[in-house]
Amino acid sequence: MYAAAVRAEAKRLLALSLEGGVVSADQVGAVLAALAKSRPAHQLRPLLRAYLANIRRELARGEARIEHAGPLAPADADAIAAHLTKVLARPVRPVARRNDALLGGFRVRVGDDVTDLTASLRLANLAKVLS
Amino acid sequence: MIFFSAYLAADTAKAAAPGAGSSGPVGDIIHLFGSFGVDKAHLSVQVVNFALLAFILYRFAIKPALGQLEDRIRQAEQLQKDRAAAEAQLASAQKTAEAQLIAASGEAARILADARNQAKAAVEAARTEAQAAQTEVIAKARAAIEADRVKMMDEVRGEVSRLVVETAAKVLEQNLDDATRGRLNEAAVKQFAR
Repeated sequence: MYAAAVRAEAKRLLALSLEGGVVSADQVGAVLAALAKSRPAHQLRPLLRAYLANIRRELARGEARIEHAGPLAPADADAIAAHLTKVLARPVRPVARRNDALLGGFRVRVGDDVTDLTASLRLANLAKVLS
Repeated sequence: MIFFSAYLAADTAKAAAPGAGSSGPVGDIIHLFGSFGVDKAHLSVQVVNFALLAFILYRFAIKPALGQLEDRIRQAEQLQKDRAAAEAQLASAQKTAEAQLIAASGEAARILADARNQAKAAVEAARTEAQAAQTEVIAKARAAIEADRVKMMDEVRGEVSRLVVETAAKVLEQNLDDATRGRLNEAAVKQFAR
């Protein structure tokens, strides 16, 4: 019951932290300041932990984490983010990271959604088909 | 014949002395017996003696002998009856024994036939069961062999595939340069944005 109340409070704090559907640093600061004043420390720890998890999840929902092998032009990263923004109907910004173990192509993760267009995945699928 | 000769002699004597004694046939007979020396007193004494002798003989000889004879006859008849009864009983016993023997023989034959049938059925059932068990064992063995074969083939196929993919990945990783990877990325982006 206490954990459920903490989750509900954290969800409410997350809603207060959004500005135009996007996490705002200013709003987050204001929320934290208000929490520090209004709650005792022993009540604050679990609430802050749940709030942090929500903020991270929300930030992940707004980020397209692109793993790619070889060079990826910024225009291509922007094109990927634009496509995801259009599909998911919310602003998504690209965060690219090079990983040559993928051999070729890219893998993009937005929140819990993953799209994999890498050569390594295709080889893995080939191995599954062959075995 | 003697009596007839005596009668003829008396008739001749009467003819020689006509008018003597009583007349008629009875008188002739008495006269005839008298001519033979038979008179009334002697005849009476002899009749009494004969009756007494007949009585004594009958009482002490004939009657016991007849009794014994009757006893013997009765015993013989009883023996005959007993013998007939024994023979009848023997025949009945023989018939009964024969009937029992026949019945026992029939029963024995039936039991033997039943035993043979049961043994045959048991042997047949055991054979069928053994064949079923054999078939099941063979089927299981074949299934196990087939499963092992499939498993081995899968393992070999998986191992070969893994080696092929690993080799391909290493070859690609060593031979792909950035330009090629960039082209691959561009193609992937076009595919993704499509």
